[in-house]
Amino acid sequence: MAAANYAIELRNIRKTFGSVVANDNINLNVKQGEILALLGENGSGKTTLMNMLSGIYKPDSGEILIDGKPCVINSPEDSKRFGIGMVHQHFKLVDVFSAADNILMGDNNGGFLLKKDRFKRITDVAERFGFEIDSKKLVKNMSVSEKQTLEIVKVLYYGAKVIILDEPTAVLTVQEIRKLFDVLRKMKEQGHSIIIITHKLNEVMEISDRVAILRKGVYIDTVETASATEQSLTEMMMGRKVDINIERPVMEKTAPLLEIRDLTVKGDEGSVAVDKLSFYIRGGEILGVAGIAGSGQKELCEAIAGLRKIESGMINYKGENLVGLPPKEIIQKGIAMSFVPEDRLGMGLAPSLSITDNVILKKYSEGASPFVDRKKGRELAEKVIEELEVVTPSTETPVRLLSGGNVQKVLLGREIKAEPNVIVTAYPVRGLDINSSYAIYDILNREKLKGTGILFVGEDLDVMLALCDKIMVICAGKLMGVVFSEKTTKEQLGLMMTGSLDISDKNGKIAGIAKDSNITEDCLREE
Amino acid sequence: MITTLATFLYNIIFNNIPLLYGTVGEIVTEKSGSLNLGVEGTMAIGAVFGYIIGCWTNSLLLGVLAAFVFGSLCGALFAFLTVTLQANQNVTGLTITTFGVGFYFFVGNGLGSDWPVFFESEAVVKAFEPIHIPFLSDIPFIGKGLFSHNILVYLGIAIAVLMWWYLKYTKVGLKLRAIGENPAAADSVGINITLYKYLNNMLGSGIMGIGGYYMGLKLSGSFEGTCWINGYGWISVALVIFANWNTAKAILGTLVFGFFNALQVSKGALAYTFPNVLGWLADIPIQLFQALPFIITAIVLIASSVKKNSKSGEPAAKGLNYFREDR
Amino acid sequence: MAKQKLFHIVKRDHLGFGYKLLVYVGAVLLALAVGAVLLAILGVDPIKYYSSMITIGLPKSKFPESNIESLIKIFVPLLMTSTALALAFKMKFWNIGGEGQFIAGTIAAGFVALKFGPEMDFGLCLVLMMLSAMICAGLLGVFVAFLKVKFNTNETLLTLMLNYVVLYVLKFFAETKADWNLFLSTTSQRPMFANLNMKMPTIQLGRFHLDISLIIAVVITVLIFIYMKYTKQGYEINVVGDSSATASYAGMKVGRIIIRTTFISAAIIGLAGACSVSTANIMSTSITNDVGWTGIIVAWLAKLNIWGVTVVSLLISVLQYGCQFAGSSFSQVDAHFADILQGIILFFVLAADFLVRFKIMFHKKGGND
Repeated sequence: MAAANYAIELRNIRKTFGSVVANDNINLNVKQGEILALLGENGSGKTTLMNMLSGIYKPDSGEILIDGKPCVINSPEDSKRFGIGMVHQHFKLVDVFSAADNILMGDNNGGFLLKKDRFKRITDVAERFGFEIDSKKLVKNMSVSEKQTLEIVKVLYYGAKVIILDEPTAVLTVQEIRKLFDVLRKMKEQGHSIIIITHKLNEVMEISDRVAILRKGVYIDTVETASATEQSLTEMMMGRKVDINIERPVMEKTAPLLEIRDLTVKGDEGSVAVDKLSFYIRGGEILGVAGIAGSGQKELCEAIAGLRKIESGMINYKGENLVGLPPKEIIQKGIAMSFVPEDRLGMGLAPSLSITDNVILKKYSEGASPFVDRKKGRELAEKVIEELEVVTPSTETPVRLLSGGNVQKVLLGREIKAEPNVIVTAYPVRGLDINSSYAIYDILNREKLKGTGILFVGEDLDVMLALCDKIMVICAGKLMGVVFSEKTTKEQLGLMMTGSLDISDKNGKIAGIAKDSNITEDCLREE
Repeated sequence: MITTLATFLYNIIFNNIPLLYGTVGEIVTEKSGSLNLGVEGTMAIGAVFGYIIGCWTNSLLLGVLAAFVFGSLCGALFAFLTVTLQANQNVTGLTITTFGVGFYFFVGNGLGSDWPVFFESEAVVKAFEPIHIPFLSDIPFIGKGLFSHNILVYLGIAIAVLMWWYLKYTKVGLKLRAIGENPAAADSVGINITLYKYLNNMLGSGIMGIGGYYMGLKLSGSFEGTCWINGYGWISVALVIFANWNTAKAILGTLVFGFFNALQVSKGALAYTFPNVLGWLADIPIQLFQALPFIITAIVLIASSVKKNSKSGEPAAKGLNYFREDR
Repeated sequence: MAKQKLFHIVKRDHLGFGYKLLVYVGAVLLALAVGAVLLAILGVDPIKYYSSMITIGLPKSKFPESNIESLIKIFVPLLMTSTALALAFKMKFWNIGGEGQFIAGTIAAGFVALKFGPEMDFGLCLVLMMLSAMICAGLLGVFVAFLKVKFNTNETLLTLMLNYVVLYVLKFFAETKADWNLFLSTTSQRPMFANLNMKMPTIQLGRFHLDISLIIAVVITVLIFIYMKYTKQGYEINVVGDSSATASYAGMKVGRIIIRTTFISAAIIGLAGACSVSTANIMSTSITNDVGWTGIIVAWLAKLNIWGVTVVSLLISVLQYGCQFAGSSFSQVDAHFADILQGIILFFVLAADFLVRFKIMFHKKGGND
């Protein structure tokens, strides 16, 4: 009965979505009272795997053992009964309920009625676990970290022995992360097993006892954290040595094409998302944008494309102010923006329409004819398919039927075919495998060689260090500094991303303002 | 004079209780995230079966039960199509309405002269008569207006209060509201969404069914001309918005909408009795009173969207289907 | 310990056309079978009833042309309304206000006919009736679309409310005897709608009178098909319906597109109202024949495809007229049997949709329990 040592054991788990294999032959185990990190790139199947423990998905084949006994998890209800609790990356909370009601809605014991004393009871229970929550507060009035705390208290309240956290640090500040890790360590001491999904190596090294690695949906290995290094883990995660072999061709740089000065933009909730940001892009260079998720990247991209109201500041393109122009005119000036959101299909593509209809999205209105020129569209689609090696049955296939990599190639292909002078691209390799990612990097480099200015909003620092000429770092919408990729390190970038290092105003040399700026004193005064 | 007013108040309640049933049923349904536009049809089905079974067995109780059971079967059908089979809720609801009203005429005409006669079912007639409550019914004015009603009026109010309590103060109600607000969250804490949606769609539609039966009784079961329900189902859908998804407020809403309905009938009498104060009532076209519930609801609907009312009781996931494995 | 479930359900990517056709035809046949059971309960021979319904009395009729003419009267407004609704639904704009927009069209057309008809050239007046109906209904649609765009007002419920508001406006005109009320007949003591004297002209083909409104309906349908499939505006509707975030990203003015499309959709429904009132040559409070509701069902059954809408409209018209017709020989079956059958068909088709959209995966025997 050696297996009984494991709180959870997965054997040969396989899960497919249609023709896509999300998980294959996964063997994973977690002991009682340990923290297991589940490491893998974006799209490597970590969340899918954990969702099979939480009862959201069902495995096609394979076995799940809990405390050594084989079990079938048909629903989240079963999962809860087996003592498994998952804190999802996107919190599963009811906005208009109080903290207490969010917990009690899953409680099957303790009477039929909702009593007044429930708020006190929940506060007490939370305190017993070592958390402070305001149990009367409505979720919609809570901060991100309050919501996360509530989620953790919730699963503990339900009696979870195994706690799964999906990318818990993505939305937290440094201090909050530290606090979270303290909590996790304490839970571990109390005998809980914890699985933490992440792709951040430093966190893996800091918090975990063992690391399990997935790559492209396949289980690679589980190793003791103590005997691993960031280098060895990365190798396992990537499947090859991490000299990220992205070329960085050097180009003669032109005068600034796009200059952003003191840009302030609000987010959806009305809080400031981009805060007095200044930077510029020259032709023939790739400027990376690094930052923790939700630091204002999306709002910045939307502001440049004219999709979001600009509170103050200037967006200057070759000496001309773009603020207030409608999106269509900005597109016509040669500024292309492509943003790959988390669901990968949201913005920029119409999933049910054909490739042809998607590649003409930005130029369908050209010409005086009231009819759409699909002949030209088809030719364009064929070109995109050929040059970017898109795998598809035909130009008339709806985009949603393509695989992720091909979808993104269509998206990027369309932007490039518009022959823009400036490309703003956010997360173009989100969810792609290594080969598709390299294809995308090649495309961007080719554009750079044509003299296009590229703003690359990315997630993976290694990639950005290899691909970009310069990297600007933002934290909570503020500029932390712009550094040359050759002269910086991941550690420095990390410090800047979390706001611990601010070099935006180094010895009076303010970052983000070009010496040969197109913005004259007159422009500024006019504004 | 007092009599006219008392009769007026009595009529408001007597004639419009079906609205309360319809509205409460629809609120219970919508709170679980299902927008069922089949109220009219569900009420028609409840009416037909309640009426026939009630008359044949000569029992009001069995009639009410039948109306509830067959109404809830409509709810089960709605749940089967939209929850299990993930069909579009708008279309499914409208189809239930088309089907239900069609069924009403189909059965009515099909039975022809076999259609049971209301007045021959003495026990039903008697059970539907106003109840004299000692002391309360004898109070001047409100005794006649408020406390001289038939049993189904009190049942309707009791159900409305009970449902208010159920949604607000019970754990089952909490789970139900969670589903209507955010089904993914409800699912993740192990609430059986399918079960709850079925149960509440059936409960809600069953309540609507009783409302339909009431219409049949009120009209003495005469199967002629328009369908008994005659738009009351649609007014109920409107009333849900007016009542802000609160079954207790639905009682108030029923009185307000009922007031306009009753004015149509009583405006002549009122204008005659109070020529100086209410004489102008006679000049107002009855169609305005008929349209008022819809006009008011349209205004409420627009005003609450303009204000972005944060206290709205509207369930956030209303009208949307939930599929667990959606990515 | 939980038992392994027998099966679970996953989304399907796509399916062959043949399979789809099979599923839907099967659904309709099953629905007819359920209808047959209902008929049998009433003691009616379902086969006789159905054959009488489907042939709409053509074989035995001495004057089959008139049966076709009656069928066309049902078909024309239904086709136009369903086409218009499909246009709005394509944009995910839940216009269930077809009834109200239709009535608004008839009121406007009736007004023009009675006010200007006597002194105006017939053709010109007819055109003016149609135009005013389209504008009147279109503006009603725009009212809702504007609120939807500006404040995100729920269009499903608002159009629903307006249906009744407009209906009572019509009833007001129908039931109020007054000097100013030009809608009513001056000769009748009881309130009664006046004759319009604007009968939709027909083209005589032998004994058959082809109503011009059929030509209008077919032209409109073809135009809408071209509009949706080939024009820039149609393309915009498709993109907005698929992903409005993508549409605004591409520089489309989403609000304007929604308002414009809703106007077109409502205007066509108004035109259908004008055609109906002119064909009947008199107004009526039941002029819509429920096309606003039935149109929703038709558009949905046809998956918002314009050719599909044409075919389904025709089938539903045959069903409705056929039931009316069969009702004359089977008196115990009410003409509303058409509604029941329509409902049952849709229930089965909605169920069939499930088989098309999802796949049921059975689990191989496994696990240790």
